[in-house]
Amino acid sequence: MEHIRTMLPPAVLVAMVLIVGLYDTTFFSLSNFETVISDTMSLFLMATGLTLVIMMGGIDLSVQAVASMASCILAVYLPELGFLAIPLAVLGGTIAGLLSGFVSIALRIPSFIATLAAGGLVTSAAYWFSDTRSVDIAEDLTGRYLNWAVGTTLGISNDIWVGAIFLIILGVLLGATPFGRYVRAIGAQERAVIASGINVNRVKIATFMLSGTMAAVAGVMMAARLGSGSPTLANEFLLPAIAAVIVGGTAITGGVGSIWRTLVGALIIQVVRIGMTFMGVSVFTQQIIFGFILVAAVAVTMDRKKILVIK
Amino acid sequence: MALAVRTSKAGFAKWRAWAPLAVLAGLCILVSLFNSNFLTVSNSLRLLNTAAIPLVLSMGATFIILMGSIDLSVEGVIAVTAVTVSLLVANDLTGYDYGLWAVPVAIIAGGLLGLLNGVLHVRLKTPSFMTTLGVGFAGVGIATAMLGGQTVRISDQTFRALSLGRVGGVPMAIWIALSAVIVAYIIQERTRIGRWVYAIGTDETTARQAGIPIERTRILIFSLAGLFYGLGGVLSAAQFGQGHALISQGRLFTTVTAVVVGGTSLSGGVGSVLNSVVGVLIVVVLANGMVLMGVEPYIQQGVQGLLIIVAVALSLDRSRLDVVK
Repeated sequence: MEHIRTMLPPAVLVAMVLIVGLYDTTFFSLSNFETVISDTMSLFLMATGLTLVIMMGGIDLSVQAVASMASCILAVYLPELGFLAIPLAVLGGTIAGLLSGFVSIALRIPSFIATLAAGGLVTSAAYWFSDTRSVDIAEDLTGRYLNWAVGTTLGISNDIWVGAIFLIILGVLLGATPFGRYVRAIGAQERAVIASGINVNRVKIATFMLSGTMAAVAGVMMAARLGSGSPTLANEFLLPAIAAVIVGGTAITGGVGSIWRTLVGALIIQVVRIGMTFMGVSVFTQQIIFGFILVAAVAVTMDRKKILVIK
Repeated sequence: MALAVRTSKAGFAKWRAWAPLAVLAGLCILVSLFNSNFLTVSNSLRLLNTAAIPLVLSMGATFIILMGSIDLSVEGVIAVTAVTVSLLVANDLTGYDYGLWAVPVAIIAGGLLGLLNGVLHVRLKTPSFMTTLGVGFAGVGIATAMLGGQTVRISDQTFRALSLGRVGGVPMAIWIALSAVIVAYIIQERTRIGRWVYAIGTDETTARQAGIPIERTRILIFSLAGLFYGLGGVLSAAQFGQGHALISQGRLFTTVTAVVVGGTSLSGGVGSVLNSVVGVLIVVVLANGMVLMGVEPYIQQGVQGLLIIVAVALSLDRSRLDVVK
């Protein structure tokens, strides 16, 4: 079973690529693959931090709000602060994650409601930063400060490089550090981790902070690519982000998962989207289909032995 | 000793039951200090009119939260039903003109989406927050697809009277909301389903052993909630005179805030539809008060977020929580 869970998502991805390629042969070209991967990176980055939270058995429903807020902070402060606006925007995300983590852990509130509520606060903050408008980023500012996100290096789009760097950093963090082991262990058997004397709360809060940070990185990336920031910029991304994590094979019940799987999941979402567009499925209908893909993926991946009563 | 603990706990529970009402009274006094017009009949009616749709929505959501579940599909269901009803009454997009017959159709559409929530949640054994999140997104997609991204304007004035008309000087929307509260209260107090909801929310394992049909009840309650959201969608369309997918924006947040601020516990088993009435009034009075004090409207979502946190933190029965996920 575990073997199937690991191998199924990549197999689905390959199958999807083949199907879409049969419909449209221009799909099979290196430059097109590069475009597809580059377009997936914002979604992937947003889903990376979320992956850790879900592996822990929690959920973060505030990622889209955090990404939107980060886009506003970036767009508003870029003219004044230059490069500094980027860490500022990401820091905003870290603080939002800290808030979610604090509410969920210190006040002992289930994460779905804690992050839903924190998302409301974050959205208000986004409106405050942007003065309720959509803020454009001037062309010359993008050229000067955001080339690391929109330019190309060695013939490959920079957003792919950024995605690759975070894939490695978070992959190592999750796969080769005590922190990563704790996250996995908390998802698998939290009580045992508590009993072994590890400060579970600290690990959990750090994970929420990481989720907020990565959502903000994704928001900065989206703002750089779109050339503007807005309080509703990333609103449509919550469902695809969760779907990317789950479709990649990370179970909602926690314990299993990896950043790699989320990359595969995000690519599946993107290829399915492209395929549906080729076949003439409207964007709105795609949203309906993604809603059901999410529910189906949750049903397939979750480990029912771990929860006796499903609420 | 044991008895002392029990009475102090009971005392606390009693205090907790009255706290929302006290908060509401305090808020009303506070706001009327800022604005002497607050407690006039016309302003009270305006407030109740604003409260009408949230009241209808919270009736459905209360039952679900009483079972210990959550329904995040509120906005999707409202969007579908509001668009459905807008397309069936006299409008500028389709040739239909079914008048008030469109209303039951839209409400049933809401019930069907609720049924879908329930069936997926129970049969696939997926947590309700995930199931309803997916269905809710799909709902917004359905509503947008039905209109192809456009907005439909309603020209049927009889239909719009459902929200804007007045009976005995009181807007129809308030009468409808009041009826919804009465129906919900009767279901809660006078039917087996109502009792079962509490049993499931308090201890599902025991409820199952006692022979309560858990699965059927869950599906039924999700469908029932869908019917209430459907009515909410109809009222939204009647109030705004148009239908589009974003008509429901912000409704989920207000509904969840109202239910938990009213004192219904997210862990299930504790609360009542009447609590939600108080919760809705708290949210509406607070919003009105903030407008009177000149607070920017966009701050409200943040304030509601804070309200959720405070209310949930105060009402969660932590003795029943082992590990919080």
